[in-house]
Amino acid sequence: MKRLFSIAVWIAVGLLGAGALGSIALHRGEPLNATWFVVAAVCCYLVAYRLYSAFVAAKVLALDDTRATPSERHDDGRDFVPTNKWVLFGHHFAAIAGPGPLVGPTLAAQFGYLPGTLWLIAGAAFAGCVQDFVILFCSIRRDGKSIGQMAREEVSERGGFIAQLAVLAIMTILLAVIGLVVVNALKSSPWATFTLAMTIPIALLLGLYLRFVRPGRVLEASVMGVALVLFVVVAGQWVADSPSWARVFTLSGVALAFAIIAYGFAASALPVWLLLAPRDYLSAFIKAGAIFSLAAGILIVRPQVLMPPLTRFIDGTGPVFAGKIFPFCFITIACGAISGFHSLISSGTTPKMILRESHARFIGYGAMLLESFVGVMAMVAACAMPPGVYFAINSPPSIVGNAGEAAVSTISGWGYPLQAQTMTDLAHKVGEITLWNRAGGAPSLAVGMAQIFSSTIGGERLLSIWYHFAIMFEALFILTVLDAGTRVGRFMVQDLGGRFWKPFGRTRWMPGVLISSAIIVALWGYFLYQGVVDPLGGINSLWPLFGISNQLLAAVALVVATTILMKMGKLRWIWVTLLPMAGLVIITMTASYQKIFDANPRIGFLAYAKVLAAQIAAGRIPAEKVAETQRLIFNQRLDATVTGVLAAMILVLIFEALVHWYSILTRRKESVLHESPYVATLWAADYSGTAHGDD
Amino acid sequence: MRHAAKTTSRVLRRFWRGLREWCGDSAYETYLRSKGTQSSPCRTLTRAEFYVEQLNRRYSRPNRCC
Repeated sequence: MKRLFSIAVWIAVGLLGAGALGSIALHRGEPLNATWFVVAAVCCYLVAYRLYSAFVAAKVLALDDTRATPSERHDDGRDFVPTNKWVLFGHHFAAIAGPGPLVGPTLAAQFGYLPGTLWLIAGAAFAGCVQDFVILFCSIRRDGKSIGQMAREEVSERGGFIAQLAVLAIMTILLAVIGLVVVNALKSSPWATFTLAMTIPIALLLGLYLRFVRPGRVLEASVMGVALVLFVVVAGQWVADSPSWARVFTLSGVALAFAIIAYGFAASALPVWLLLAPRDYLSAFIKAGAIFSLAAGILIVRPQVLMPPLTRFIDGTGPVFAGKIFPFCFITIACGAISGFHSLISSGTTPKMILRESHARFIGYGAMLLESFVGVMAMVAACAMPPGVYFAINSPPSIVGNAGEAAVSTISGWGYPLQAQTMTDLAHKVGEITLWNRAGGAPSLAVGMAQIFSSTIGGERLLSIWYHFAIMFEALFILTVLDAGTRVGRFMVQDLGGRFWKPFGRTRWMPGVLISSAIIVALWGYFLYQGVVDPLGGINSLWPLFGISNQLLAAVALVVATTILMKMGKLRWIWVTLLPMAGLVIITMTASYQKIFDANPRIGFLAYAKVLAAQIAAGRIPAEKVAETQRLIFNQRLDATVTGVLAAMILVLIFEALVHWYSILTRRKESVLHESPYVATLWAADYSGTAHGDD
Repeated sequence: MRHAAKTTSRVLRRFWRGLREWCGDSAYETYLRSKGTQSSPCRTLTRAEFYVEQLNRRYSRPNRCC
């Protein structure tokens, strides 16, 4: 009877999800209520978790709770710490959830709400969650080894080296593109710039408190820090209202780029306890609070989604970024559906803290479902504003013109009515000088979030405070990724340099620290600067480059996962990782080819370089702009080379894997699985489920 | 009524413990309790030493994602 009831409930959840998805997909005409998005996403996630993840756990991976996990065997209270599954879920989610699932869907909203929403849900259920879950499982079975180490052992020596190089390249592009998102969010905004600048002294204060006054008392320090950050969000208004202070904090894109580059260098070279760690604590609390508030706000306000399901820009002529729905919708959404970067976390800290193998399903698969839900909420927030306003904020001046009537007529001509006064009023209400041409996703997401928050608390009176809270939230945790990523990049550079000259590899040798920090900062700083001065808006070139590199890393992770499944003798179920891998390879290779060779200069790097070169040759570029244009040509060729090298690296790895698979299947080579030996858990008898989150 | 109060108190205690564990506030206590620390011949770190050592380890590998 109980079983029948359970089946009936799950059929009802499935039908509700299918109905809601059908409403989203087939709805035309009147605006759609956001509740449908929440219902569709939650029901699909529940069904995917209950059925698909259970199938992967039982049939494909055969999780074994009698086997001791690394945290039990190596329990040292430092790296290997047995952790309650709910706490570890929180840890893992805080680590994987970055700006990607917020910015990606916001940018992809230019195609309309439908393609992005469908890919966020389906991509997560069948690709992203599977990748995180399987890689977590593989790392647990290998004492918490990283994806690079697993690639080296299970695929080939060269495969591991390629994976490590790919991580460094991806890190460089990632840091540049998120830096660009921050620049575009703070440009000409004294309020937002002041608020974010003040988080640095607050973090330093917290760092000193946690180091010398009350060592390690993270909770009390974070409460003080969050209170101070909220205060500076409000105080930013006084700065913006004061002409002399507003001038100090009104910075151009280039000035902001250099400020962020200097910050990245300082965070990498200074002791970690002084700036980086306290910022991370602040960011973690504010991130959790803002995401929870956004979910609650959407459920309470239930806004109307004003963006149509599909816009005219599915043909590839989009103003935010150029390119057709395939492959660019997938490349742009990136982290909200599947992120290669997650494989670094799933094979990093989490496997060393997991208590039982069965928890991998909840933590690996479940946390990614939650990240996908964050992506759906970002999509709702972006699509809840009038499409005309969305395109006015996100389009670069080279497409729509510099504000005013020309831009209004271009956007209205696309079929998305807009009035110049609407933009002026909106900018005034949110406390900004202008909202025109603020590409990058962050300002439009902040407007969407602020409208939802202010409909819940405070009304229009608090719109400016909510807007700057949202900007601060996005910028704060983007900078946390930027400084933590720069530091990890520094270690990678030192590791690489240490192979040629030993002292350089010593992480406490100050000249090595400074030089390696300068190298990694120069690498991503160059791409950031290039994005800031790009007449097409920077996001048009850098975000697809980031998406391609991220999805290529996911393909690497799935190659490793497929190889391991094959070696485990799970040939029957190999499609679980093989199909998403094949899909990603097709998507990323198509996108790479188009970004390099497409004849449209807004898509193809080489075509754009050619157009610029032709303009110089024809004498259409003023003499004083020739050097600048030549730099732009060089940058386009550099982007084309980077894309080509990344794609080539992955093709080499796939070729290596195919040769390896062939050898295994034809039994030319013995299939050696590098798992740690089975050790029975000693916790079975005195195991307390309640204490470890099994209740 | 008493049962409800007890349940609420248990839930709040558990939430508080989870929150401290999640943000790293109780990391030093966990370190002192761990088998590795208790059976190790090395000197047990002070709270301040442990805090700095733990941060240096945590931020030397990818721990924040895009």
